[in-house]
Amino acid sequence: MSQRTLPRLLQSPAVLLLLVWMLVPLGMTLYFSFIRYVLNSLRRPEWTSPSLSNWRGLGNYEFVLNSKDFWFAVQNSIFIVCSILFATVILGILIAVLINKTFPGQGIVRVLLISPFFVMPAVNAVLWINMILDPVLGLNGLAVGGINSLVEGLRDAPLVGWFFSMWPEFEPISFRATQTSAYAVIMMVTWQWTPFAVLIFMTSLQSEDQQQKEAAILDGASTWSQFRFLTLPHLGRPIAIVVMIQAIFHLSLYAEIEIVSRGNGNKNLPYLIGEFANNNIGAASATGIFAVILANIVAIFLLRMIGKTLME
Amino acid sequence: MGRIVLDKVSKKFGDVEVIPPLDLTIEDGEFAVFVGPSGCGKSTLLRMIAGLEDLTSGDIEIDGENVTQVPPSKRGLAMVFQSYALYPHMSVRKNIAFPLRMEGMPQAEIDKKVEAAAESLNLNDYLERKPAALSGGQRQRVAIGRAIVRNPSGFLFDEPLSNLDAALRVGMRLEISEMHERMQTTMIYVTHDQVEAMTMADKIVVLRAGVIEQVGSPLDLYRAPRNKFVAGFIGSPKMNFIEGEEAAKHGAHTIGVRPEHIEVSASSGAWKGVVSVSEHLGSDSFFHVHDTGLAETITVRAGGEVGFRHGDTIHLTPRDDVIHKFDSSGLRFE
Ligand SMILES: Nc1ncnc2c1ncn2[C@@H]1O[C@H](COP(=O)(O)OP(=O)(O)OP(=O)(O)O)[C@@H](O)[C@H]1O
Ligand SMILES: [Mg+2]
Repeated sequence: MSQRTLPRLLQSPAVLLLLVWMLVPLGMTLYFSFIRYVLNSLRRPEWTSPSLSNWRGLGNYEFVLNSKDFWFAVQNSIFIVCSILFATVILGILIAVLINKTFPGQGIVRVLLISPFFVMPAVNAVLWINMILDPVLGLNGLAVGGINSLVEGLRDAPLVGWFFSMWPEFEPISFRATQTSAYAVIMMVTWQWTPFAVLIFMTSLQSEDQQQKEAAILDGASTWSQFRFLTLPHLGRPIAIVVMIQAIFHLSLYAEIEIVSRGNGNKNLPYLIGEFANNNIGAASATGIFAVILANIVAIFLLRMIGKTLME
Repeated sequence: MGRIVLDKVSKKFGDVEVIPPLDLTIEDGEFAVFVGPSGCGKSTLLRMIAGLEDLTSGDIEIDGENVTQVPPSKRGLAMVFQSYALYPHMSVRKNIAFPLRMEGMPQAEIDKKVEAAAESLNLNDYLERKPAALSGGQRQRVAIGRAIVRNPSGFLFDEPLSNLDAALRVGMRLEISEMHERMQTTMIYVTHDQVEAMTMADKIVVLRAGVIEQVGSPLDLYRAPRNKFVAGFIGSPKMNFIEGEEAAKHGAHTIGVRPEHIEVSASSGAWKGVVSVSEHLGSDSFFHVHDTGLAETITVRAGGEVGFRHGDTIHLTPRDDVIHKFDSSGLRFE
């Protein structure tokens, strides 16, 4: 036995397990995506069990590509993921830098900041859409109502009354509508995932070298320059981690989309898979393969972009 | 230019007074070295001069101008840190250029200055590398380069060589000394190292618990230490202190004799003892002598060819003209 054989042999069960873990589902998805396979069919009962004799070639892919929601779902997936990433990274950096200073009540503030992360996605969605974004009963409706009655009151006020009487009545935005449901999802997921970004950025900020900062101060760097040239590059790797992990998670958003609008005006690939999977497993699997490809493209693209901008 | 005056400068961290009010003047072009035991406030003092640490009270003047409230970057001082504090995400070129870039200097001029600094520090081949890909000595050069390009009126060094190995240290020590000769700029240098202090300084400032024990040229401090603390701190190996009867013979509470000022002999001498450890360095030999009845251990330095061993009886004779006398409060008197 050569020196390498024994360690490899010892590792192999774990590696095999992982391979099986990954390859079996992927293989099954691939297999289903090339055959006709539906859950229920009165006319063609032979399609209801997976078998090679139902081979359809690229037919499922063609079907998915030509279905009316596919390109919309791809675009919308990317839109939602990128918006959430953008918002969480920016907010995460801002908050992390802010609470990295020592101040009284620091511990409590940090715990409170992290807490949204422990809320279950479905609960998060229900809370947001009913209690905050609801145009009548939610904070959204109450706030707009409050502004309206304030403006109403000011219309009769002396001196400034004429100004306010030109104001229209405000309408609360309904976030279940076709045009806005994606924004509702972006908001609630951003709220939930910003703590994750804060947590990671905060640990990274604490490992920042203070002497480098002092050297920069002596070199005449302003607070902004210190942030731009030292802190931000220092955060490069954590940002990449946050982006990558979140991209993977948010490409598969489902609960929020279901709860906000049942996919009305706001589908992503997993939601489309869910819709197909009501009956057409073949099409659902083909969509799944597209989703895997999309996830890889997005990840590679995002990492390149971050690498370029931050690492000078 | 670069005359630095500290006027009743003090520093408290919370309730702890790290530096009681202290006066010190460092002349233009002088190479001043701060030495003292660990925790005595050397770094704190240096950081106060740099402006990185606020003063609790007192004033700092540079070239006659009160800079106590002036921000660090406007004081015209450059600092080199023990950990180098290079910017890890920037190439060597960008590191050196950083202060100039912050000044808003035009790019062409920056390039010229960086090239010149790199030239003088032998860094030309490394300009495009990141700090992580450099050796300790090269990193230290980059840190110095970053300080030089600003053309400061004074340099502050906080133990810049203590992360380097012995051979490199000697080399860098010479380079910094040469740099000082060439530029004739004020330099303040903090170190633990005897040899660095003695060889580089125009003026040594010995600190203990934030208090200046003595200020003077290296040889002044060696020849005429003001008290027992300075006498023990300057010189290596340490001065031997002898109390009691032997000291009384010289009319002192304590006498101090440097190891190099004691003659050794196998047959006769003023004092007699037993060698416990002998260290042979080739050029010199150090003997740690016990059972003299004078002090726990007497350390002696003799020529490299002198060969006493463990357990040998040895006779010691101090050179009378260089015996230091101290009174009961530890002050030296003639
Ligand atoms: N930020 C701080 N808060 C509280 N105490 C401090 C702070 N910085 C330094 N001190 C204390 O001030 C004293 C002087 O510290 P300083 O770093 O100046 O020592 P030093 O002479 O440079 O020591 P060394 O040779 O080990 O570097 C020490 O007792 C240290 O504990
Ligand atoms: Mg120090």
